[in-house]
Amino acid sequence: MDTILKIEHVSKAFTGHQALDDVSLEIPRGSIYGLLGPNGAGKTTLIRIINRITIPDNGKVFLDGKEIATEDIYHIGYMPEERGLYKKMKVGDQAMFFAQLKGMKKADAEKRLKWWFERLEISDWWDKKIEDLSKGMAQKIQFISTVVHEPKLLIFDEPFSGFDPINADLLKREILGLRDRGATVIFSTHNMASVEEICDDITLINKSRNILSGTVDEIRRKAGGNTFQVVFNGDIEAFNAAIQGIGTTIDEPEGIIGGYTQQKIHIQEDSNVQQAIASLNQACRLRSFQEIVPSMNDIFIRAVNGTL
Amino acid sequence: MGKTSLIIAREYRERTKKKSFIIATILMPLFMIGLMVAPSLVMMLGKTDTKHIVVVDDTPGQIIGSRLASNSEVEFQLLDGMTKEQAYQAYDTSDKAFGILYIGRNIEENYNDVSLVTNTSASVSIEENIRSQIEQTIRNRKIEQTNIPGIDSILASTQVRLGSLQTLKNNGSDNIESMEETSTDASMLLGLVMGLLLYMILIIYGQMVMTSVIEEKQSRVIDVMVTSCTPFELMSGKIIGVAAVAATQIAIWAVLVIGASKFLLPVLMDNTALASAGAVATGINATLGNVLFMVKLFIYLLFYIIGGFVLYSSLFAAVGSAVDTAQDAGQFNTIIMMPIILAIIVMMQVFNDANSPLIMWFSMIPFTSPIVMMARIPFDIPVWQPLVSLAILYASVMIAIWLAGKVYRIGIFMHGKKPTWKDLLLWIKTK
Repeated sequence: MDTILKIEHVSKAFTGHQALDDVSLEIPRGSIYGLLGPNGAGKTTLIRIINRITIPDNGKVFLDGKEIATEDIYHIGYMPEERGLYKKMKVGDQAMFFAQLKGMKKADAEKRLKWWFERLEISDWWDKKIEDLSKGMAQKIQFISTVVHEPKLLIFDEPFSGFDPINADLLKREILGLRDRGATVIFSTHNMASVEEICDDITLINKSRNILSGTVDEIRRKAGGNTFQVVFNGDIEAFNAAIQGIGTTIDEPEGIIGGYTQQKIHIQEDSNVQQAIASLNQACRLRSFQEIVPSMNDIFIRAVNGTL
Repeated sequence: MGKTSLIIAREYRERTKKKSFIIATILMPLFMIGLMVAPSLVMMLGKTDTKHIVVVDDTPGQIIGSRLASNSEVEFQLLDGMTKEQAYQAYDTSDKAFGILYIGRNIEENYNDVSLVTNTSASVSIEENIRSQIEQTIRNRKIEQTNIPGIDSILASTQVRLGSLQTLKNNGSDNIESMEETSTDASMLLGLVMGLLLYMILIIYGQMVMTSVIEEKQSRVIDVMVTSCTPFELMSGKIIGVAAVAATQIAIWAVLVIGASKFLLPVLMDNTALASAGAVATGINATLGNVLFMVKLFIYLLFYIIGGFVLYSSLFAAVGSAVDTAQDAGQFNTIIMMPIILAIIVMMQVFNDANSPLIMWFSMIPFTSPIVMMARIPFDIPVWQPLVSLAILYASVMIAIWLAGKVYRIGIFMHGKKPTWKDLLLWIKTK
């Protein structure tokens, strides 16, 4: 795996409170990486450690295989959770200021900003003051300021908070677009729907520890644990006999319309799935056989409660 | 330097575009001109109608009352054969008389035997007018009663008044013509102006740096900023940006005030006021006309302004970074302001003796030296003193920047709890 950012055994304690406890993770280049976790789990602390705003007590952060240095930070695009813009400053001046501060040439910055403003349909805000914009509107400016210098690594802390569904969708599209143009995106969230939609990989942090890491597909499949929903017509006894030794039923069977029965089953081994389908097909009239993949929301709750 | 100059430019543009900046820049000179013009305006507007006062004089032959002279302020009317009680009844409204002055029979022995009853509220200047007229009359009568021939001319000859005292600096030659003329009046005025100028700059613009830091922290822009530049670039950018704002504002004020005093004042002030101002100005001109001296003064001023401003504004920046709101800054602010205020108090003493040991020391201590030394320089002081004082000041500036940078770099990320002095010390020690 081509890793862009590697976090090794990072710990951080604040007075009377362990914010991060031996957290390690690796972020693949060109991925969208979700940092999940309940409020107060330590996501923001981790992000601030990556950005060198907070210095960890233990552990190291590597960017492109080298220990991260202050200068590296200037090439990261970072959108903090507590959005910060100069309230009295005009939108355009402000965006220009941040772009130039990130090292862009003036003409270049202006060209790129105009492009982004048009893309997000906010061109006519250029001369407005931030204090005259709504929170969601200001968020768009903040987003543009974060990405305009086209950093190869982007970090968004709770990017969707404060956006209405339409603008949240817009933001998702833009984040996907950024990845497709080669950027690696890290974002923290507790919006699970967005995780399923756009994340390639995730880490779940709970109570300052990394309790779950991996690609979204893998995690969901694993959490599903070979559980299937079977719809059939026939005798439940015959059904049970057919999966004997391969799997077990979960919960009671349910009758559904058209004389069909619905039953959840669990199959022990991946390799047994085909066998199960074959013997069930003989024992009864099989209508459908579908894997149950839990939503990230379920996984999140189960992981946090320790029942995964 | 690239990032710092961006920060300076932003700070400068945003501050000078603010309405409050434009208003303050225009209003301040108006206010100062107002202060200059106010006395003569008040005198002009303060003139009122002549007050009519009736006088009951019980002295034999009405010797006091008959000598009271009416003028534009009061008009006296001596009543004949009326007791004071009758007068009170006869003149009981302000239409009839402003008041009734009663002079007792024994006024020349008992100075308290006199009263003024008014129908409306009394006026300090009328009371003063009456008091001085009665005093003068009694005094004159007493002088007459001594029966000494030529007493008037004797008294007149005792009125001694010296013209202006020529002050010169002894340069060791025996020839007074070769000595340099000095003017204490001019030195004092210059010292005062410069001391106050520094005081104003340190307080106004030092606080401006602090608010700017707090604003950035409060609006959370700081998180974005520190991932774009170092805290030190940010802090120095702010300080230099505000310094540029200060330079602009003061330059505009200087142009406006000089312009106004050249063209506006002659129109607004009457001749007497101008004449007395002119007399002072001649003395000052002797000093101001000394080009070499003024250049020297200006260079010192520049060094002290820059040193003092950077010293204080870096402290203000440190405080701003440590707190969440301007209100929280209170206790730290008081401590920072104390030496500035102390310096102003000491500065007033400079005009009594610019070379006293106490004042010498205060002009060496970096926290008070900009104000105190600038007030001393127009007086004659040894050359090594400002040089040593500047050296100490700039060494302290280095230390202050270093300390402030340490507090700032941690303070800007601290939210919530109001820090204590102990916290600040801890931040300084943190690597």
